[in-house]
Amino acid sequence: MASLLLLLALLAVASAPATAAGRPLAHREVLPNGIVLLVAERPAIPIVAVRVLHRAGAVFDPAGREGLANLTGTVLTRGAGTRSGQEIDAAIEFVGGRLEAGAGRDGLTVSLAVLAKDVRLGLDLLADVVLRPKFPEAEVKRKVAEIQAAIQRSEESPEVVAARALSRLLFPGHPYATPVEGTRESVGRLGRDDVVKFWGEFVRPDSTIIAMVGAVTAAQARREILARFGAWPRPGGTPPTPPSPPVGMAAGSETVKRDLTQATIVLGRQAVNQRHPDYYPLTVASYILGGGSASRLYARVRDEGGLAYAVFSYLAPGKYGASFRVSAQTRNQEVPRVTRIFEEELARMARTPVGERELELAKAYLIGSFPLRLDTSAKVADFIVAVEELGLGLDYADRYRERIGQVTAADVQRVAMRYFDPGDFHRVVVGQPP
Amino acid sequence: MQRLLLAVVLVGVSVAPVVAQAPSAGTAAVLATTLNNGLRVLLLEDHRSPIASVQLWYRVGSRNERPGATGIAHFLEHMMFKGTHRYGPRQFARLIEQNGGQDNAFTTQDLTSYFVNIAADKVGLVLELEADRMRNLLLEPKEINAEREVVIEERRTRTEDDPGSFLGEEVSSLAFKAHPYGAPIIGWMEDLKRITPAEIRAFYDVHYVPNNATLVVVGDIEAPAVLDQVKRQFGGIARGADPPPVVVTEPVQNGERRVIIQKQAKLPIVYLAWHVPSQKSPDAPALETLSVILSGGRASRLYRSLVYDRRLALEAGGDYSYFSLDPNLFWFWATPMPGQTPETLEQALLDEMEQLRSEPVAAEELARARNQVEASFVFQQDSVYRRAALLARFEMIGGYRLLDAYVDRIRAVTAADVQRVARMYFPADRKNVGVLLPLP
Repeated sequence: MASLLLLLALLAVASAPATAAGRPLAHREVLPNGIVLLVAERPAIPIVAVRVLHRAGAVFDPAGREGLANLTGTVLTRGAGTRSGQEIDAAIEFVGGRLEAGAGRDGLTVSLAVLAKDVRLGLDLLADVVLRPKFPEAEVKRKVAEIQAAIQRSEESPEVVAARALSRLLFPGHPYATPVEGTRESVGRLGRDDVVKFWGEFVRPDSTIIAMVGAVTAAQARREILARFGAWPRPGGTPPTPPSPPVGMAAGSETVKRDLTQATIVLGRQAVNQRHPDYYPLTVASYILGGGSASRLYARVRDEGGLAYAVFSYLAPGKYGASFRVSAQTRNQEVPRVTRIFEEELARMARTPVGERELELAKAYLIGSFPLRLDTSAKVADFIVAVEELGLGLDYADRYRERIGQVTAADVQRVAMRYFDPGDFHRVVVGQPP
Repeated sequence: MQRLLLAVVLVGVSVAPVVAQAPSAGTAAVLATTLNNGLRVLLLEDHRSPIASVQLWYRVGSRNERPGATGIAHFLEHMMFKGTHRYGPRQFARLIEQNGGQDNAFTTQDLTSYFVNIAADKVGLVLELEADRMRNLLLEPKEINAEREVVIEERRTRTEDDPGSFLGEEVSSLAFKAHPYGAPIIGWMEDLKRITPAEIRAFYDVHYVPNNATLVVVGDIEAPAVLDQVKRQFGGIARGADPPPVVVTEPVQNGERRVIIQKQAKLPIVYLAWHVPSQKSPDAPALETLSVILSGGRASRLYRSLVYDRRLALEAGGDYSYFSLDPNLFWFWATPMPGQTPETLEQALLDEMEQLRSEPVAAEELARARNQVEASFVFQQDSVYRRAALLARFEMIGGYRLLDAYVDRIRAVTAADVQRVARMYFPADRKNVGVLLPLP
């Protein structure tokens, strides 16, 4: 299940639209009960991808009830309308389609993919899952046990362990500090009542986006969605308020000892999302530092040093907070050397302006690779939902391209001075560093 | 690169392990030709997005390696990005990126694939770069030795520190006594440390020849114009000697083989694997169908029985690699839920096989599997990358037109066929078993 965080990462590399400049990516309208409907017609292939996003992600988990949004998402498809979970599975899989639900940090997403000929069946199932979930007690219990087992198993992965530890350091007191799936303890405290309450409070039409992409027209989409979701009443009051922005903390560090041949190193600090003007020069800076196989870290750590297979930096923007991370996996004894290279390269970017060729390559890649980000109906659906949720506007692709195009070497140096001070970075190592 | 042993059955989104797309017109629109030097060329116009996928597939993988030099095909794949006489180290990636393209490569047991997805008007540049590195690699010892460390780190990431891959490697090497499929694609650590620049050069000279490659371009192109560019870029490359064929036939397995690994992990893992025929066999479509019935989604047997009804497994699945050149393994895997033992899961998997042997699958199950395969074909058409990769895959096993017959082959499978292959290929006394027991 793609989390909104991942969807937003897509935005980090978007630029020129695949359509002619100035043409919005999708038709947009607001239905009477507040649902935002987005439609992108891609008639050539007879499939339809649908995304329903509710502003009901893990950031809204009550304290001590971490993992509730995720549990709610996974149980949505386990019984709805007149069908049991198994009957839903059988119905959608019989036509070779998919119906999945799950929460990310910021939103709860229900995804549908069907052949165009089966779109009505798919939408019937989707509407049941969104509007008429039954949350059977036995299914909630089953999912709690499965999620706990999956959390236990994920502790095997050094990348996962490192990312979680870093998030704890980066976002103290903020929901982003906790994994979307919660912890084994917090999930163990959840029951059917929690799920029903969460769904009732957060799944509402005026905080819902529905995107339909593929062999469907805007008129068809409106008709089919209104028929199924039009009578969904808008509740009184305003949607729940999101969490306050995260506060910063002095840089901390953590080593998680594991019997592994390789250490996973992650450095990170808070950053900004697409709504902040610094986001665009920061995107370019991150790309030059560790974005691709032409990046500085790739050259020094991998190509010249032979120190790692995986080495990269990236911006991870969320709606309610963002981080910038630098990571590598290297043999245990080389942790100090790789960390030193990270520090040197971060500091160098603040000290010395990037070269014109390097800058142009990064900008050309970020702008020129955009059509590759929107080459399937599923990618388009994810993209337009994320753009809408962040309030970036459906012409965002054009404006992104403009903003990246305007970035100068001085801009890159300015954001590097602000965001790339090695002393500001939290550090996590998983493995057996010397 | 690892075999697809990590398909996530937990979320029930795996459709057929073989994913395919055939335009309703089948492959009729493909412009196919073979240059005088033996380079196979497949071009397909798809004008929905202003992009193209350019893919060069070499018929060489770990299958073509000899003992002592395992991992050399994948090692060479890395070296393909380390410079030619015309373009120095790292120039390939730089040129692709500054033209807004994304490039990568992967190595399997049977083949090595290089791909670039890029704005369609840049296809000419990619063709030039691919033609250049087909024969003109520098292969400097200094670069080879730096990259050796990178590949060793890759092995640490993918295998040494990954319980599932680690166990899979052990089971493969147990299942194959003679055939190179028993060695890991990434190679044994001892070989990676030893392989010499001269060996890499020799391997390159033998396998990287136009008559051992298939070039596929799908996207917003004019096929005849691209064919002219292909001829210009690749036409002057000399045909090489045909690479030596792989002649090993794996001897029949006599008796069960089992390996138990203790490793730092959180939950046990169970693998079962049986020898099965390749897609050349008339039994392949039935094996493919059996794979979908067992693990294609949440309504599939393994999910419904082991995960849902009996709550034994966190995840469970099966995989038949339809595209394997030589007879390979049919894999089953399961991760026990906390409190369940590997023995219980192994028995549960065997029970499922016994049920397939003893009674025919239901009409509804068979129809669902067919529909899933057919729908996956249509979904694949949404991506030019996937369209190109699929043409290449079918070309590698005998010709891209086999793609047209694939769905028909699946459609023709009956419940009796599924029962027959279940009886024929999964005898309890010839299984390969791997168990990972977690160390705290």
